[in-house]
Amino acid sequence: MILTSLTFLFFSIIVILIYFIVPKRIQWIVLLASSLTFLFYNSLTVSNIISVLIVLISAYFGAILIQKYENTKKSKIFLILTILFILGELALLKYSNLFIVTINHINNLFNINKQFNMVSFSSPIGLSYYALIMIGYVIDVYRGICKPQKNILKCALFMSYFPILTSGPFIRYDKMEDELYTKHKFSYDNLCKGLVRILWGVFKILVISQRLSLFVNTVYGDINTFNGFFIVIAAMFFTLQLYTNFSGSIDIIMGVSKIMGINLPENFTSPFFSKTITEFWRNWHITLGAWLKDYVFYPLMKSNFIQNIGNFFKKLFGKKVSKKVTLYLSMLIMWILIGIWHGGAYTYIIGSGILQFIYIFLEDLLGPIVHKINEKIGIKEDVFSYKLYQCIRTFLLFSFAMIFFRATSVSNGVDIIKHIFVYNPWVLFDNSSIYTAGLDLIDFRILIISLVVLFIVEYLQRKGSVTDMLFNQNIVFRWLVLYLLIFAIIIFGMYGPGYDPTVFIYRGF
Amino acid sequence: MERKEIFERLNNVFRDVFDDESIVVTDATTSNDIEDWDSLEHINLIVAVEQEFGIKFNMGEVTTMKNVGEMADIIEKRVK
Repeated sequence: MILTSLTFLFFSIIVILIYFIVPKRIQWIVLLASSLTFLFYNSLTVSNIISVLIVLISAYFGAILIQKYENTKKSKIFLILTILFILGELALLKYSNLFIVTINHINNLFNINKQFNMVSFSSPIGLSYYALIMIGYVIDVYRGICKPQKNILKCALFMSYFPILTSGPFIRYDKMEDELYTKHKFSYDNLCKGLVRILWGVFKILVISQRLSLFVNTVYGDINTFNGFFIVIAAMFFTLQLYTNFSGSIDIIMGVSKIMGINLPENFTSPFFSKTITEFWRNWHITLGAWLKDYVFYPLMKSNFIQNIGNFFKKLFGKKVSKKVTLYLSMLIMWILIGIWHGGAYTYIIGSGILQFIYIFLEDLLGPIVHKINEKIGIKEDVFSYKLYQCIRTFLLFSFAMIFFRATSVSNGVDIIKHIFVYNPWVLFDNSSIYTAGLDLIDFRILIISLVVLFIVEYLQRKGSVTDMLFNQNIVFRWLVLYLLIFAIIIFGMYGPGYDPTVFIYRGF
Repeated sequence: MERKEIFERLNNVFRDVFDDESIVVTDATTSNDIEDWDSLEHINLIVAVEQEFGIKFNMGEVTTMKNVGEMADIIEKRVK
């Protein structure tokens, strides 16, 4: 079920109606039933049911056993077993091909004439999300942060809460317990705020993201014709396409939840105003970053393995160097994992993993040096123009990495980069050529106006919730904005031929 | 170990980790009071405290302790 489809619209309306009609104590059962419907809507197969059950049952019993044997060795054994079960399934269904490709490469390297065929497993929707969510849950039980859920159906709801199955955000049990299982009263205020959020998300996806995708697909589909500046623009457009698509989905998810009185954690806070890649990732896919920090990065930094390496370097080069070595090593491991999570292919490991690590590494290493040079030659860093330069630099660096993210293979990514080096800036000014790449003059105008609106809203968002700001205005202005948004979606949304609602970038990861 | 001694030793660890000889921690000290105390330094600090007192914090404690007082409480319990 696609979030911007009519099916999802009707599905949500029905769920919300039933949710507020039934007695409040069974509201959570409505959520569970609708989540299971959503989960198996396209794929009610035995293998999918089994793979959902494996995660549910291992997390449910795992958590109970972990608590039962609290503070004993057994507790840790159950924790490790549970994590292995869930990770094992995730790895088998999602990353088998990555493993096969790697083995084949190694075989090639050593001239071994054995090549394995790629496999294709069907995996239930949302596996990459709920597998990590449930791993977080059992770890939290182990750490004593939350108590295990004794009711397996409630546990199932936490795992499969339908809005988050397609694009997150990652949720934590201790924060969601009150949201999911408690009774919620209908609130007109929540309805209005939720609706605005949904409309804004739909606007981002249908008016901006879909339009950008036409240009991006045309250029990346034929890089021999559309080379040089076409690719530069396409790379920047893809970053914006990814953002409007992903954050737009999150807006719809948060909006639907808000109407039911359920609050979810924010996943984006205006990332394009970030001055460094480090800061960018604090504002982009926030809940994934937080998940990795708590469940991978911290334990890794504290582990004997990393500490021993740290001590070794401390003896040789002192405290400062050893701190950096352990930090960079842990970060490298974490970024490779982020890359792998994004998809079982090397394009993701490079684009959303290793390149991001290299950026952050260089920022940390060169940042202080650049700062000193700036001070010496008198370049002010605390002025608008310098900050603007930093934001643009961050945007371009991220867009460059996203070339790999979008590429069909690593060699395709390298090929695209090679085709950038054609000097043809006149395509920007020559009316006949820029409008041949999927978007005509009118589409470009709509796009530019929508992007300006997007950036104004993003700018305001840094100061607080834009929905709250809107609702503080007078009723006339409020309705004006609402109608404008609805008409913009109806008139400028891309649903015509060539519009394929299945192109949801963050689905299936 | 007496609380006073714990705090003396904690002061040394804090000064070493944050490279600031003027740091004096109290029960109420939080990450807001020390400039460099971000989530990254937090983990370095935890490891240094563990080494100093020969104890291990569990990850639940690491992510939930609110101030130095709570840290000292845990140390007091462990080193008895």
